Amino acid sequence: MVESFFNKKSGCLTIRIEGRFDYSCHKTFKEAFMNTVGVTSCDVDLSRVTYLDSSALGMLLLLRDYTGGDKANIRLIHANDAAIDILKIANFHRLFVITE
Amino acid sequence: MEQVLTILIADDNPSDRILLKAILSQLGHKVVVAIDGQDAIDKFDPKAIQLVCLDIKMPLKNGWETASEIQQIAGDVFVPIVFLSGISDPIALSKCLRIGGIDFISKPYSPALITAKLNAIVKLLVMQKTLEEQRDAMSLYNEQLLHDQEVAKVVYENITHSNCLEDPALSTIHYGTHTFNGDVILAAYKPNGGMHLLLGDFTGHGLSAAIGALPLADIFFDWTKKGFLMRQIIPEINARLKGILPANMFCSAVFIDVKVNNNSIEVWNGGLPDLLFFSESSEQPMRFASKNLPLGVLSPEAFECQIDPMNFAPGDRLMAFSDGVYEALGLSGEMFCHSVLNPLYRGEIEADKATDWLVEQLKNEGVLENPHDDISCLNIRLDTNIGIDSLERDVPKRHHEAPANFSFEYVLYADSLRNTDPLPYVLQILTTVPGLSSFSSQIFMILSELYSNALEHGVLQLDSAKKNSSEGFSQYYDERERRLSNLVDGYVKISIKVTSDNNQRVLVLYVEDSGSGFDYQKVNYDISNTELLYNRGLALLDQLCSKLEFSKGGSAVTAHYHWQVGLTN
Repeated sequence: MVESFFNKKSGCLTIRIEGRFDYSCHKTFKEAFMNTVGVTSCDVDLSRVTYLDSSALGMLLLLRDYTGGDKANIRLIHANDAAIDILKIANFHRLFVITE
Repeated sequence: MEQVLTILIADDNPSDRILLKAILSQLGHKVVVAIDGQDAIDKFDPKAIQLVCLDIKMPLKNGWETASEIQQIAGDVFVPIVFLSGISDPIALSKCLRIGGIDFISKPYSPALITAKLNAIVKLLVMQKTLEEQRDAMSLYNEQLLHDQEVAKVVYENITHSNCLEDPALSTIHYGTHTFNGDVILAAYKPNGGMHLLLGDFTGHGLSAAIGALPLADIFFDWTKKGFLMRQIIPEINARLKGILPANMFCSAVFIDVKVNNNSIEVWNGGLPDLLFFSESSEQPMRFASKNLPLGVLSPEAFECQIDPMNFAPGDRLMAFSDGVYEALGLSGEMFCHSVLNPLYRGEIEADKATDWLVEQLKNEGVLENPHDDISCLNIRLDTNIGIDSLERDVPKRHHEAPANFSFEYVLYADSLRNTDPLPYVLQILTTVPGLSSFSSQIFMILSELYSNALEHGVLQLDSAKKNSSEGFSQYYDERERRLSNLVDGYVKISIKVTSDNNQRVLVLYVEDSGSGFDYQKVNYDISNTELLYNRGLALLDQLCSKLEFSKGGSAVTAHYHWQVGLTN
């Protein structure tokens, strides 16, 4: 399940994923950032993610690409051990700020 | 669908029969009449009749019996049955519906009611017909799709399997969740012996995942054959995938270079689980963790290549697997990486049985019956003869062997030594010589040995004795990188001369470096002496060339290579 919240003042879009972060989230995840105007930074809250697969990594890359590529300002927050393990194998700490 | 139906009515009472026929005909429908149940069955043709009206009480066969026989004849075709009845017993009427009738018309007939019911039946038939058409179109489409996939699969497999996976040093497992597999395993012999291997896992599954494997395999095989190095091929694959794949697709991969001239491997891991290196000298397998982003994520400018070198002894093994293994869910509900794979990581499984063991675990834990991801595993038994025998298997090409004589000189100074690998280009020119292309593997081997000696021992002054221990080995490569990036002065000169005399052809390779040379009198040319790792290269060259001579105090070497036209090895 994907929920999003946009803080107009700070320009920060928070996207929270609950349960399995995989292809089934594709549509709602994409809508969350494509339908919001004026995003300057983005927090992806992974605290309730139980599993994440390579299509989830792909969605994160899509978000990064859409919000400016190398200039994108994206944090992956509250990542648990399972998520960190997978993000680390993919070396995503070089593309995103990851916090526990 | 036209609104005119052909209707079969069966009633043993002549006056009821004639009345109903009159009403239906007046509505514009065609009517076929039968005088009892058996007559109705005889006159029923599922291709012509769209609606059947049966009186319940008839001699010989009653309406219910007739109905079930008609339904049998109709088979897959939907022909609605309406019962005609003078009785109003609810049990009898409900039996009509239970055995497959769609409605009943009670006697005496009311033309208004019959008209209304027929309109409803026409609507039902139109809907049924539309559904059938859609079903047929869908199954035709599905058939076509499957056929297309089969054709595409053949092309796909020809491209991704044109490799040397059947080499006895390799064992693999490969299970896909779809017709197409998003995992690829590629293996190719290098022209100078040894092998390149790649295990890749594209985002997602099925066709969309498999499509990226085509350019990947294309570059992998083509560039390996041309003699390019792993650190040149990987950035090229990355750039190509970045250019063609959508932003959310990439390829997690490991690339392995098996180098037989100095008993070593180089491993590049971008996004796959740790590779395991099983060696006699340690109880637990060593791990090669992912140090790179997957292929197709970074732009060519931002791409870096973090490669781990390691030397091996014959019999050591290297194992790599895809996410499908690492993240497989066992019966306990835990991922393999935290449960089932632990004995493997702890070194409790013998390396040569590791692949079989893994298949067994995947079976026992029910993963193979219901895989959530494509599953691949690659196990290599490392040895010094990998890809060496293949050199002799090269199929000779029959050119018209016209004589050739030319020479050229290629001198690389510090910046070019750092940034270029001259060998594929030199080889490309040499293989234009008619007849020489069939010896390209041997020539490439000689060239690469001479060039790396000149660069590493001549220009960079590295001591190859260091490579004898495994710590020394990685130190050697770190030191090589360091000295190469700090290099200011120095050169390697490659001179090539090809001459023809009747049927005799001679290739002279001269390689000179800016180093201080070495004591070439002490070189041991005995190839069976495996004690001295670093001399094996020269001993091999001595066997391949008709003459090998040093000059300038060891800082220059000339290799003579002879061949006769009309002959191939």
